[in-house]
Amino acid sequence: MPPAASTPPAPRPGAPRPAALLLALALSLAGPGLQAAGPGPGSPGVPGVAGVPPPGLLRQAARAALHFLNFRAGSPSGLRVLAAVLRGRAATMRNPPALCFSVPLVISLGGSSVVGIFHQISSQNHVDARRTCRVDLEFTAERYGPEADGRLGRCSARVVFRRQQPRPAVNVTCARFMETSRRRREDLLLYKRAKRLRAPPGATSMPDSHGWIDPSLRPMWDLAFLGSSYVMWERTTQTLHYYMAQLSSVNQWKTNEDAIDFDYTVLLHEFSTQEIIPCRIHLVWYPGKPLKVKYHCQELHTAQEGSGTEGG
Amino acid sequence: MRGLLLLSVLLGAVLGKEDFVGHQVLRISAVDEAQVQKVKELEDLEHLKLDFWRGPGRPGSPIDVRVPLPSSQAVKVFLEAHGIGYTVMIEDVQSLLDEEQEQMFTFQAWARSTDTFNYATYHTLEEIYGFLDLLVAEHPQLVSKLQIGNSYEGRPIYVLKFSTGGSKRPAIWIDTGIHSREWVTQASGVWFAKKITQDYGQDSTLTAILDSMDIFLEIVTNPDGFAFTHSKNRMWRKTRSLTPGSACVGVDPNRNWDAGFGLSGASSNPCSETYHGKFANSEVEVKSIVDFVKSHGNIKAFISIHSYSQLLLYPYGYKAEAAPDQQELDQLAKSAVTALASLYGTKFKYGSIIKTIYQASGSTVDWTYSQGIKYSFTFELRDTGRYGFLLPASQIIPTAQETWLALRTIMEHTLNHPY
Repeated sequence: MPPAASTPPAPRPGAPRPAALLLALALSLAGPGLQAAGPGPGSPGVPGVAGVPPPGLLRQAARAALHFLNFRAGSPSGLRVLAAVLRGRAATMRNPPALCFSVPLVISLGGSSVVGIFHQISSQNHVDARRTCRVDLEFTAERYGPEADGRLGRCSARVVFRRQQPRPAVNVTCARFMETSRRRREDLLLYKRAKRLRAPPGATSMPDSHGWIDPSLRPMWDLAFLGSSYVMWERTTQTLHYYMAQLSSVNQWKTNEDAIDFDYTVLLHEFSTQEIIPCRIHLVWYPGKPLKVKYHCQELHTAQEGSGTEGG
Repeated sequence: MRGLLLLSVLLGAVLGKEDFVGHQVLRISAVDEAQVQKVKELEDLEHLKLDFWRGPGRPGSPIDVRVPLPSSQAVKVFLEAHGIGYTVMIEDVQSLLDEEQEQMFTFQAWARSTDTFNYATYHTLEEIYGFLDLLVAEHPQLVSKLQIGNSYEGRPIYVLKFSTGGSKRPAIWIDTGIHSREWVTQASGVWFAKKITQDYGQDSTLTAILDSMDIFLEIVTNPDGFAFTHSKNRMWRKTRSLTPGSACVGVDPNRNWDAGFGLSGASSNPCSETYHGKFANSEVEVKSIVDFVKSHGNIKAFISIHSYSQLLLYPYGYKAEAAPDQQELDQLAKSAVTALASLYGTKFKYGSIIKTIYQASGSTVDWTYSQGIKYSFTFELRDTGRYGFLLPASQIIPTAQETWLALRTIMEHTLNHPY
């Protein structure tokens, strides 16, 4: 069941104070041939300029929202992935709200341009990581997996990123692209197939080096993705986002009791750093019940180790 | 076990040119010590020419023996007379060997021509290097193989040159596999090489291009990394150079170029996947290309191919400032991705590196652009994250086919807009 969450109307961002000062300063330096682009009163317009969040930030929010939705729905037949971002806005949580990303001030003097006069200005996609950032957005999602039939469902979400901290707060609603009864049936079928499945021994990679997944092992793959959704939700920030690259080992696959008890290791691919992060995940799943999952990710060379638990 | 035995028999057959027509393999079950002794008597009868694959041992342990056709009747009569049970495990050894040999040659690594080479599967470094030689041998007038250097671990670095003559003609450069885990790119490079030889003289656009320009194609740009993805770690990205003072191996070859080197958009941590190296061009894999480009001096388009994300990118990666030729590059990118999508509907986004994917300093096309190579592009091929680096082999050819349409668009534009 997609979590029901109404999307509250987003406050309109006013002109951010520090940037307004900068703009004033820039204009005071005006001479012949000066152009400046910078933040103005919140008006929609060209992306990257004047109040429109960089597309990267909206996509980050959409991904976080979908990982969260997939986890909470607890349905391996109902997994969704991002199709396209439709629209959105981002603001800090301060009062008055301000833009939670920096827009570069590019000043052309005659022929040459001078970029980065002021220290907080950098690339057009720069997100000011020091601030809490609330993103309201609408996007489309499609079904994950080879059964994807191109049908899109609309989603709306509010995602709050906190200062590059994990666990963005998510409120998301998606239109159903599959009837609930059908999704329940498919989950039940998956459950039955999973119960009959004998786990491949130890370190069997799925997909293998050539991208091959044994079709009979699909239930395992879908459940692995479901568990990974929890991990990927927690770890997504304004700048970090993940894909599940490979199921690298099955440590335990227990189907003798009611629930499926699955202990495995995945390799997550973090896109902006290009790092491959092994995460050990242990989930317990029963159709219709909330997913129980805990995990521990290996941090290869950075300071933080990361783990988490979510009981039903 | 049986496979191993069969293999040795096969080798024996190949080397010793033996024939196993009508030979059978029997599995004998001797239930007690007396029966085991009887089978041992059989062993002593040399004229039967029996070949015990699994000799007599303890009672209950199966005994496997290859029986030549002339001895078959005698052996079976003997066993039946003594009440010793047996089954026919292999009806005809020769037909089994024929079948196996056929299978071996079908999946054989070393194809005998580029027409029998399997483009729909991923290959090893040796197989790709073998392919290069086959292609050159089949099209000596059009294709030659250049060695532009040696990798850190001493592997030769090869570039294919497609040329119909002239001297230092304006040229197009394409490279694949600079990041070794992006396997669909090397596989596509192999397909492109074959495609060029097929289309010259057949496709008017490609023919026009090759009649005035040369094409250079480096398929395995990071051979050490590629070998490592086969032997140890399928997810390896960087080179395999050792960094003094660090336990970590490798430099990101797409952060090692002399354009914004070391600035934001690369890591100074040797353990990072985007480690830029101690200095620009520290990696021989990069330096070899730099030297080649500089000494050639007439390259007009430079295309570096990666995966995944489905993007077509142009400079800059290290700074937000628009490239002087931004408008033209953007238009050309748009045409190229439109051509790409025309085949299978695969959607690519396009734009500058920094705006479309992320900030990246020291990247290949930022450097080539700074050298005056206007048409500098980076591709990120299929997919968008479902399989990522582990793209199913069934998608190799469709990926290569659609990408080729984009490449052709860029090459044609380069031909028609000399500078």
